[in-house]
Amino acid sequence: MTGFLEIVRSGLAPKGLSARPGQKIENLPDELFLRIDETGAAIGYCGHVDLGTGIRTALAQIIAEELDLPFAQVSMVLGDTDKVPNQGATIASETIQVSAVPLRKAAAQARLILMRIAAARSGVDARELRTEDGLVLGPEGSNVRFAYGDLLVDRMLRERLDEAVLVKDPISYKVVGARVARVDIPDKATGQAIFVHDVRVPGMLHARLVRPPYGGWDHGPFFGRSLLGVEREAVANMPGFVEVVVDGDFIAVVAEREEEAQRIAEALPVHWAALPPMPDLSDVAEALRRNPDTPRVVRDEGDMHAAFTGAAIDLRRSYFWPYQMHASIGPSCAVADWRDGKLTIWSGTQNPHMLRADIALLTSLPEAAIDIIRHEAAGCYGRNCADDVSGDAALLAVKLGRPVRVQLTREQEHVWEPKGAAQLIDVRGAADANGTLRGYEFDTRYPSNVSPLLGLVLTGIVPADPVAVPMGDRTSVPPYDYEAKKITVHDMAPIARASWFRGVSAMPNSFAHDCFIDELAVEAKEDPVAYRLKHLPDERARALLSAVAKRAAWEPRPGPAKPDLQSRILRGRGAAYAQYMHGAFPGTPAAWSAWVADVEVDRATGQVSVTRAVVGQDSGMMVNPAGVQHQIHGNVIQSTSRVLKEEVPFDAVGVAARDWGGYPILTFPELPKIDVLMLPRQDQPPMGVGESASVPSASAIANALYDATGVRFYELPFTPERVKARLDAMLSPLPAPERPIAPPALPRNERARPASDGWGGRMRKLAKTSSLAALAAAAGVALAGVAVGMLPLRMSIAPIQQPDVALFSSAAIARGKVLAALGDCAVCHTAPGGTPMAGGFRMETPFGTILTTNLTPDVQTGIGAWSYPAFARAMREGIGRDGRHLYPAFPYTSFARTNEDDMEALYAYLMTQPAVHNPVPPSELKFPFNLRWTLAGWNTLFHNAAPFTPDPGKSESWNRGAYLAEGLGHCSGCHTPRNVLGAERLKGLYLGGGEAEGWNAPALSSLSNSPIPWNTQDVYDYLRSGFSARHGPAAGPMAPVVEEMQHLPDGDVRAIAEYISSFDTRTEAASAAELDAAAASRLAETAGASQGARIFSGSCAACHEGDAAFMFGNRPSLALNSNLFAARPDNLIHIILRGSSSVVSGGGAMPGFGSVFSDAQLADLVTYLRSSFAPGEPAWTDLPERIAALRNATH
Amino acid sequence: MGQPQTIKLMVNGQSHAIHADGSTMLLYALRNELCLNGPKYGCGYGECGACTVLIDGRAARACCTPISQVGELEITTLEGLAQAGVLDDVQHAFVEEQAAQCGYCLNGMIMTIRAVLNAGGAKSFEEVKQALRFNLCRCGTHIEIMRAACRACGVAFEEAGP
Repeated sequence: MTGFLEIVRSGLAPKGLSARPGQKIENLPDELFLRIDETGAAIGYCGHVDLGTGIRTALAQIIAEELDLPFAQVSMVLGDTDKVPNQGATIASETIQVSAVPLRKAAAQARLILMRIAAARSGVDARELRTEDGLVLGPEGSNVRFAYGDLLVDRMLRERLDEAVLVKDPISYKVVGARVARVDIPDKATGQAIFVHDVRVPGMLHARLVRPPYGGWDHGPFFGRSLLGVEREAVANMPGFVEVVVDGDFIAVVAEREEEAQRIAEALPVHWAALPPMPDLSDVAEALRRNPDTPRVVRDEGDMHAAFTGAAIDLRRSYFWPYQMHASIGPSCAVADWRDGKLTIWSGTQNPHMLRADIALLTSLPEAAIDIIRHEAAGCYGRNCADDVSGDAALLAVKLGRPVRVQLTREQEHVWEPKGAAQLIDVRGAADANGTLRGYEFDTRYPSNVSPLLGLVLTGIVPADPVAVPMGDRTSVPPYDYEAKKITVHDMAPIARASWFRGVSAMPNSFAHDCFIDELAVEAKEDPVAYRLKHLPDERARALLSAVAKRAAWEPRPGPAKPDLQSRILRGRGAAYAQYMHGAFPGTPAAWSAWVADVEVDRATGQVSVTRAVVGQDSGMMVNPAGVQHQIHGNVIQSTSRVLKEEVPFDAVGVAARDWGGYPILTFPELPKIDVLMLPRQDQPPMGVGESASVPSASAIANALYDATGVRFYELPFTPERVKARLDAMLSPLPAPERPIAPPALPRNERARPASDGWGGRMRKLAKTSSLAALAAAAGVALAGVAVGMLPLRMSIAPIQQPDVALFSSAAIARGKVLAALGDCAVCHTAPGGTPMAGGFRMETPFGTILTTNLTPDVQTGIGAWSYPAFARAMREGIGRDGRHLYPAFPYTSFARTNEDDMEALYAYLMTQPAVHNPVPPSELKFPFNLRWTLAGWNTLFHNAAPFTPDPGKSESWNRGAYLAEGLGHCSGCHTPRNVLGAERLKGLYLGGGEAEGWNAPALSSLSNSPIPWNTQDVYDYLRSGFSARHGPAAGPMAPVVEEMQHLPDGDVRAIAEYISSFDTRTEAASAAELDAAAASRLAETAGASQGARIFSGSCAACHEGDAAFMFGNRPSLALNSNLFAARPDNLIHIILRGSSSVVSGGGAMPGFGSVFSDAQLADLVTYLRSSFAPGEPAWTDLPERIAALRNATH
Repeated sequence: MGQPQTIKLMVNGQSHAIHADGSTMLLYALRNELCLNGPKYGCGYGECGACTVLIDGRAARACCTPISQVGELEITTLEGLAQAGVLDDVQHAFVEEQAAQCGYCLNGMIMTIRAVLNAGGAKSFEEVKQALRFNLCRCGTHIEIMRAACRACGVAFEEAGP
């Protein structure tokens, strides 16, 4: 297979964007556009890439058409810098309109060359030959018939592109213009497609980046100069560690496995210099107004002064567009390999050649030594972090000499992707009463958007200086026939890191143009569509808008909107028209687009939905109408999302949205109905269709909002907060609703009042006048007095040699194992990551830190020298073998209930475990609690060493449960409140709620906060599986308890459940289903209305909202969870920060959101959760303090 | 977190021994150990659905499901849906309706609808929308995805109409 025909062209410098201003492009090689080989198959080469828009299919259609080759025999190579021509970045919807032109010519030329060869071979005049389905055929009746491939056998033809070659008349098109199925979808639907995320190279390492704290900026004196250092040695022993690479402010950790890289990146201590104040973007519009600018007048026509003199209508308006995210669904990824003098980068870039130039600079390699192989990635709609990670991977591969894959996290993509720029537009316009458009003064402020490659600025190779780039001018000239107009684009340096994003500057500019013309129409008391038609000089624009209005059954609505102010739900419709102009001013027009949008506004909540959009487009010739329709749908949905929901929030540090809760996008339930009208213009040149339908979206929706409410909206996005605030300010109050906006709290399951607790009550009174610590210290001194006065010192019990394990029966050992699990011995007597039972766990108590002891039978450091009597005395009286008192953090007050058989079995088990030599440092208790003998007094006051006695009035299983729970299970150890001396307040407050390791251990009695009472089955489910559907999962310090209880026989767990639930005697006032339904209704009312609501919906609801039988794992209902009803928010905050995993396999896990939510976001979320799920409870007031404290807590 | 250990996973009908820490997310095990590219990393927090696989026939977010949570349960990925080269009905519907632009979220859409069908299906257009409400798509392919999902569920797609 050596024969081929190639069509090439001498290399040309690409037009349009370059990575940096003034960048030189040298030594351009020949560009290959088309290759046909002996098999007859054709390969097209294009410098643009498929961003999910289907151009791979459309370009192949063009080649198949011009070449008369079956579509299936054409394939495309897109964006591989070693192979494809440099056609610049895939932007501005110009692939079909611009980049396909040489491809079409190459195919036409190849067809002629093949016919020429056939003519020579057959002797038939080329003019009598024709082509069809990959064959050259002679005249009717002749037997001249050559397959293309056969004509190329042993020929090696390389022809220069003939720019003047004749291409087909569109009238004769068969393949172009037909709806063709996309070639990439079957592979994508079966997992066979290789996205850049799926590229694997043998020996590949995994990297995670640690980005600087100044998240989302790209210039400033601190940029690239803020890293003080990293503590490599702190992570160098972690599993999989390969290297930490540091260069300027660039930090990457590299590991053998992906999850290892992630863990190391999270663990790496990094020290940054204090940052200077960042730009204040709390009010972006104001920041744009203050940002220094260079005015650039792009159009100045007519006499502006005369235009505004004596005009009947003279309006000034300002329009604001926020920073928005590209918000790719897949965080960016790249793989790089440096091998044999060649750097290969597998990348999802939009602009492979530009990127290659940047990476040459980054790595000091010549461009010829770099090949960028473009793979599909998650849709980007402009420039996201795909280039940045490609640079990062290149840097690491060259430094380490091994292939490296870099995967950004969701947080990093959100924070660091260059944002779609914000924009502020001031318009002054004038019209006559008779409808003549007089003057139009338009000033648009656009902070620039050519973000340098992060690697270049983080390493300091390129200085992080602000660079102004003139890209705010797209569609800046209004389409309407103002007699005089002055269009000024205020070019300015970037503020936040920004880049081009679909409909670059045209969407905001058009938002202003088409909202403004709508207002003029109302002022002129004319129908907005008719008014536009009167003032649109472009015939195709008029034809399109008329067709869309007709399709939408538009009814003329002259004059001011007439909303029904008695109605809570208001409906309206609005129209808009725009043509996207792309490229340098004045730009190239893309497809014409017009919208009619129907909206629904809830005045009570401010929620806006686009219920239906009729969207028409004149795309000229459509290569693949199915693809065009797809693009229109995509643009309508994405732009609706941008208009209704999207705004990048900034805080003092930078971008303050790190996940989909912080930056919500449109979801399926919010989907509008979309009716697409595509004008048949197959005889006209093709126009770009990748962005056009986005451009009129904002004005159509804003105009519909006006039609619905009579109120104009000038600032995006139209979130419930913004809409409600403006409607409340502008409209007369909504009549009182027939039903409450939010349903009232359901009847509360009454909490019992605690019984009087004499001792505790006295202490509480005392506590009012003195601080708790002072009180405790004073009480401790008093205890000492009790001890000295009342108790003899305790004797030590003689040590034994290692016990004779042969004395213990295997049955006893087995039973002891279960009892040890019940007693949670290992939960407290194991240090994090340490050997089970070998001690060293730090228990923080109000009295100081207790280090738990070594429970293994090691003679020196454990309990190996303890005889059974010594062990039993410790368990029952809290006295160590040496006669010293043990601190009652060791629950001997409960263990004392244990009967002799069980005690012996437990001893047997502990003594037959492997001895571990592990000296544990002494506990660190405060005075006077460090004096152990004071505990003698404590025991006198608080300890009852009596064995368990069954209650004859209760069932056998209840008594069994009581024996287990009161004894070894020591439930009350955590779940009963303690007095200032740390003793359980058993009178009246037994199981009334306590604390454990900084968590609230909820009440298990009738004092429980749980919204529904705990019944026996609930407790059983919870203890057996770690999850009760009516209450929630076991988490925090309770998780290991349930884990240990897995060793217990089922009957014992049931018995404990029966016993524990007997203390919750509340009646069920509202059922679980009722509570869930009430919460769902409150959620619906408040959806999107606050940051807390948005975070819940985007970050939490996938697992916590509704009941989805098709989803794996537990889906805890927050309406039923006692943590939402607790007096303190601690447990809720703990869980959100750190997540939790189901104790029993199969329940699933919740990830921790500590690195996602800022303190402010977390406070908003927790406030929202409290008000939505526990509406009868008072708001938590100390959230900032609690969040700060718990973020730093060790547990 | 501890040292890697050998954990058995049953994936697409085959048993695999994975050498990893039990807290490793299933997504990494499937992608990096078994080279299964269907499930995609999207957020790591179970928010977007791109990583969806079936565990015991139900939709699971592999990005935040530790492998220790899976145990002996059967895992199915996008690659495991087609049987003997014949596309699953859901895959077939998505191909027929051309329900992808970039296709990064496609795995989650297909696997979620497969799970919905496994659990008894959806009965209305509204139910299909609700079933997909926690699967995000940024390209705006929702219309085509809804057509495909409705086709797979045997539910009529509600047209916008002229």
